[in-house]
Amino acid sequence: MTDSLRQNRISNAWMAAAMSAIAFLLLPFGRPNRAFLEIDNALRPWNLDPSLSWLVWLVLLAAVSAIVISFLPINTVLKGNLLGLSGLLGLLAGVIWLVSTKTPFGMGALISMILLINVIGYGLSESGRIQSDAFVASSIIFVSLFIILFILYPLYTVLINAIIVDGKFTLTKAIKVLTGQRFIYINNPYTERNEAMLIGISSLIGGLAVAGYSIYNKLKVNKIVIFALIGAAIGFVVGFSAFARGALPTSIGLAAIVATTVTLLGLFLAILGQRTRFGIIKKSLASISLLPIITPPFVLAFAMIFLFGRQGMVTREIFGLRTNELFGLIGVAGAQILAFTPIAYLVIRGSVASLDPALEEASVTLGAGRWTTFRTITWPLLRPALANAFLLTLIESFADFGNPLILGGDRFYLSTEVFSAYSARFDQNEAAVLGLVLLVIVLSIFFAQRRWLGGDSFVTVTGKPSSGKFVELPRAFEGFLIIIFTIWTVLVLSLYGSIIYGSFVKIWGINNTLTLQNYKDFMNQGWPVFLYTAKVAAISAVPAALLGFLIAYLVVRQKFWGRNFVELGSMLSFAIPGTVMGIAYILAFNNGPWLLTSSMVILVLAFIFRNMPVAIRGGIAGLAQIDPSLEEASTTLRASSSTTLRRILVPLLIVPLIGGLIFAFVRAMTAISQVIFLISSGNKLATTLLLGWVEQGQLGRASAMATIMIFSMLAVISLLMLLTRGRGSRGIG
Amino acid sequence: MKTAAPVKLENVTKRFGKDVTAVDNVNLDVKAGSLLTLLGPSGCGKTTILRMIAGLERATEGKIFIDSNDVTKLPANLRDVTMVFQSYALFPHMNVFGNVAYGLEVARRPKDQIIKEVDEALAMVGLEGLGERATNALSGGQQQRVALARALVMHPQVLLFDEPLSNLDAKLRKYVREEIRELQQSLGITTVYVTHDQEEALAISDVIVVVNKGKIEQIGSPFELYTQPANKFVADFIGSASFLKAKYDGEILSLADYKIPFKQDIRAGEVIAMIRPEAVILSDDGLSVKVKTAAYLGSMTDFSFESAVGEVIANITGEGFMDIKKGDDLHLQFKTAGIHLLEK
Ligand SMILES: Nc1ncnc2c1ncn2[C@@H]1O[C@H](COP(=O)(O)OP(=O)(O)OP(=O)(O)O)[C@@H](O)[C@H]1O
Ligand SMILES: [Mg+2]
Repeated sequence: MTDSLRQNRISNAWMAAAMSAIAFLLLPFGRPNRAFLEIDNALRPWNLDPSLSWLVWLVLLAAVSAIVISFLPINTVLKGNLLGLSGLLGLLAGVIWLVSTKTPFGMGALISMILLINVIGYGLSESGRIQSDAFVASSIIFVSLFIILFILYPLYTVLINAIIVDGKFTLTKAIKVLTGQRFIYINNPYTERNEAMLIGISSLIGGLAVAGYSIYNKLKVNKIVIFALIGAAIGFVVGFSAFARGALPTSIGLAAIVATTVTLLGLFLAILGQRTRFGIIKKSLASISLLPIITPPFVLAFAMIFLFGRQGMVTREIFGLRTNELFGLIGVAGAQILAFTPIAYLVIRGSVASLDPALEEASVTLGAGRWTTFRTITWPLLRPALANAFLLTLIESFADFGNPLILGGDRFYLSTEVFSAYSARFDQNEAAVLGLVLLVIVLSIFFAQRRWLGGDSFVTVTGKPSSGKFVELPRAFEGFLIIIFTIWTVLVLSLYGSIIYGSFVKIWGINNTLTLQNYKDFMNQGWPVFLYTAKVAAISAVPAALLGFLIAYLVVRQKFWGRNFVELGSMLSFAIPGTVMGIAYILAFNNGPWLLTSSMVILVLAFIFRNMPVAIRGGIAGLAQIDPSLEEASTTLRASSSTTLRRILVPLLIVPLIGGLIFAFVRAMTAISQVIFLISSGNKLATTLLLGWVEQGQLGRASAMATIMIFSMLAVISLLMLLTRGRGSRGIG
Repeated sequence: MKTAAPVKLENVTKRFGKDVTAVDNVNLDVKAGSLLTLLGPSGCGKTTILRMIAGLERATEGKIFIDSNDVTKLPANLRDVTMVFQSYALFPHMNVFGNVAYGLEVARRPKDQIIKEVDEALAMVGLEGLGERATNALSGGQQQRVALARALVMHPQVLLFDEPLSNLDAKLRKYVREEIRELQQSLGITTVYVTHDQEEALAISDVIVVVNKGKIEQIGSPFELYTQPANKFVADFIGSASFLKAKYDGEILSLADYKIPFKQDIRAGEVIAMIRPEAVILSDDGLSVKVKTAAYLGSMTDFSFESAVGEVIANITGEGFMDIKKGDDLHLQFKTAGIHLLEK
C-alpha cells in the first residue's frame, strides 16, 4: 500500500492553514489611516475595535481548526468537507468584519485570507467536489473572486451610485441627468428650425423608403411592417444624431459615422492587401496595421491639430485658412477613423483571405452576373466579418476618450461627460448615471455580437498564409483602391511625421526654428513620469500575463461549475469602456474595506484587469495547439497541475506568454481612459501628462514625449517580433 | 519492488452531459499481475473506462478500487497508475532521457538514482544509449518505446495502454505487442489494455472484455470468447462466423436436412448456430449449398455459399478447389469444434 492511497493521510492543507495563522498574528489585519506596508502595533487584531472583533478571531480559529482537521484520522472525503467548511467560515468572517466595520484591509487580512482560500481549495479537491488538485481548485476560487472584486463589484458600485444619492434610493438624479441639456437637447429654441419635427420627418422618410422598397419587391405584409419599422428606426437615429444636441445623440451619430466609414475602409484595404499585384502595398499594410497598437490613442488627434488646426500646415499654409472647424464632430470622427481603420482591416482581412476565387469563378461560369455573384457568393461570406468590424468599431468609438477630449470642440460626448461630471463638476452620481448609460450601450453591442457572431470578439492576428493565385482585381477598381490607400497612408504618415517634426520646432506654425528645447523640457518634467509609467506598466504586465494564462488554462482545460462565468467575466473588462471602468474603480476603491486609491496599487490593478484579456486570448489560442494528452501524461506521472503548468505548458507556450507580457506592457504604457480617473499627485502617468500638455497647448514637449513613446514602443514590439520569428514554429503535439 | 495490485470497477457509469452515456453500469475485476484487454468498436467507451481507472475522468456513478482502496474520487496524480497514450504524448521540449526521467524528477528522487533507473528502463525497452536523442528524431516504434519506458520507470501498481500500437505499421505492431506482453509478464504488472483489433486482443490477453455501446457483452479468456461467444455481437467481433437457422433437441443439431450429433447446454428448440469459417469442410453430403463467391488467397480460399438456413462463409485450406465456380451446387459439413449455439 502506498502513501497516496492511504485513506487517512495527512492533508497538506495544514501548511497553508499554519501560514495563514502566522500571517494573522504577525501582520496588521486592517489599516485605518495607514499605508499598506506599515506594520504597527495598533493595527494588530487584539487592538482592534472590540465591538465586532470576535469575527476577526474566527479567522484565526478557522486556520487553527484547519490544522487540526488535517491531522485527524478520518476519511478523506469528510476531511475535505471539514477543511472546506472551516476555510469558508474564516474567509466569510474576515470579509464580513472588513465590510461591516469599513476598515481598509491590511496585509495580514490579505495574506491570511488568501491562504484560507488555499485551504478551501484543498478541501474541494480532497472531498472530490472538484475533479482536480488543490492548486486548480484554489485558482478557480481566486480567479472568480478577482473577477467579482475587480470587475463586477466596481460595475455594481456604478449602478449603486446612479440610483442611491446621499444614502437614499432615488431616481430623480438619474432622470435629471438623462433629461438634462448636456445629455439630450432636442429642440434648440435659438435655431429657427424645429429639431423635433426634423427628427420625425427623418424617421418617416426612413420608414417610407424601406416600405416602398419592400412593396416593390413584393414582400409579405408582416415583413413589410417589420422592415418599415426598422427603416423608421434607422431614420430616427440619423435624424436624432444629426439634429439633436447633447452627449447621447452626438456619441451615437459619431459612432455610426465612424463605424460605417471604418468598416468600408477596412474592407477596401483588406481587398487591396489580398489581391493587389504590388507587393509593396501588402508589406506596408502589414506594418501600418501595427501603428495603433504602439501609439497612445489620442496622439493622432493632436497631430491633426498640427495639420488642420488654426496654425495647421494644411489649413493655413496651403489653403490659407484660419479655422476651428477641426474642433467638433469632424475632427473627432477623422481621428477615430484613422485610429480604428487598422482594427477593422485586421478583422476583415481573414475573411477576405479565405474567399476562394474559385467560388466566384464557378458562379460566373454558371451564368451569374457580377452583381448576382457578389450578392449570392461574396457578400454572405464577408458579412460576418463586416458585421464584426462594424460592431467592434462602434464599441471603440463609444468608448474612445482621448480624441473627443482633444478635438471635441463645443460638443459633448458620453465618455468625456463621465469624466467631466466627476472631475469638473465633482458629481459622482451624475458620472455614475452617464457611465451606466455608456455601459448599457456597449454591453448591448457586445452581447449582440457574441450572440450573432459566435463571440470571437477581438482581433486575433492569425497570419494565415494566402493560398496561391488570386484573380486579379479589375484595373479601375484596383486603381480606386490604390488611391484610397495612398490618401490614407499619406495622411497617417504625415500625421506621424508632424509629431516628430513638431518635437523639434519652437512653436508650431508661429516660430518654426529648429530646437532641442522640447526634449530638454521633456527630460526635466516628463522623463521621471515616463520611467514611473514604464515601471507601473512592467509591474502590471507580469501578473496580467500570468493571470490571463491561468484563466485560459482553467477555461480550456478544466471542467468546473462556473466556467462560463469566469470566461465571460474576464473578457468583459475588454469590452467595457475605460471611462466606465475608471469611474467604477474610483467609486469602488476610494474608501471602505477595499481602499486602494492614491496608490500605485490601484494603477497596477487597473492595468492587470484591463490587459489580462489579451493574454487570455493568446493562451487559449496557444493551448489549442497543444495535445491535452501531454498534460495528462504528466498527471499520470504524478505531477500536480502546478508542476504540469510549470514544466510542460509554460515551456511550450513561452512565445505566446511573452507576447501576452509585451502586449500587456505596451497597452499599459499607452492607456488613458481608465487611469485618468485613478492618477493622483504622486502617481502621474505618461499618457495623462501628455494629455495635460496638449490641453495646455504645450504641443512642443507633448510631441517630444509622443515621439519618444512611439519609438520605444516600436522597439518593444520589434523585440517581440524577433522573438516569435526565432521560436515560432516548433513541432508541438 | 511493489506487489501488483488488483483493480475493480463496481457498477461504474460515466455520462457526458445529460445525453451521452459513454459507460453504462460496468463491473470489472482485473486480477493482480494479469493483462486485461478492453475490446470493442470505435466509440464504445473503452478509452473512457481506461481514463476513469487513471483518474483522468471521474465516474458519474459507481466505485473504482485499486488494491482494494476506493480511489473513485482520488485525483489522477495521486494514483499509482501510469498510462501509455495512443499519441505517445512525449514531451516535445525534452529529450528521451528527460521524458523518461520526468516522473522520477517530479517525485524528487536523488539524481544518481534517476540516472540509474532511466538507464534500466531504456534498456528494458531496447533503447540503450538513446537518452540524448530528441524525441522527434526517433522512429514511430522508438517513440512508442520511450512512452513505454516512461510509464514503466515509475514501477506502477497498474499500467494502462490506450491503443498503443495504432500508429505503427502492421509488421511492427505484431513485434511490439509481443514485447509488451513479455515485459508485462516478466514484471508482473497489472495491465489494462485498450484495442479495437481483435487479433491483437487474442494474442496478448489473459482476459478479454468485449464492450459495446458502453456495456460489457462478455468477459472471458481468448479461447472462451472464440469458442463460446455469448452472443452474435461477440461472435462477429472476435473472428468471423456464419449464423445459421437451426433446431436443437439436446442431442442432434438440425440445419435443414443436415443433422449433426452435438452437445451444448442450451434450451432445446429453435437456435442460431454459429459456425467458424475454418470449421467448414467440402463434402459429398451434408448441407446443400450454392456457391456465391470464391476468392483464392494463396494459402486458402474464401468462399461464401447460399443455403436454405442462411449464408455460410468458409476459409478452406488446401489444393483442388480451383475449378469451383460461382453457381455450383455443393455439400458442406461442419467440424463440431467450430460450432457454437446461441439463443435465438
Ligand atoms: N469529453 C467528452 N464529452 C462528450 N462525449 C464524450 C467525451 N469523451 C468521449 N465521449 C463520448 O463517449 C463515447 C465513448 O468514447 P470513448 O473515447 O471511450 O470511445 P472508444 O471506445 O475509446 O473509441 P475509439 O476506439 O474510437 O477510441 C463516445 O460516444 C464519445 O463520443
Ligand atoms: Mg479510444
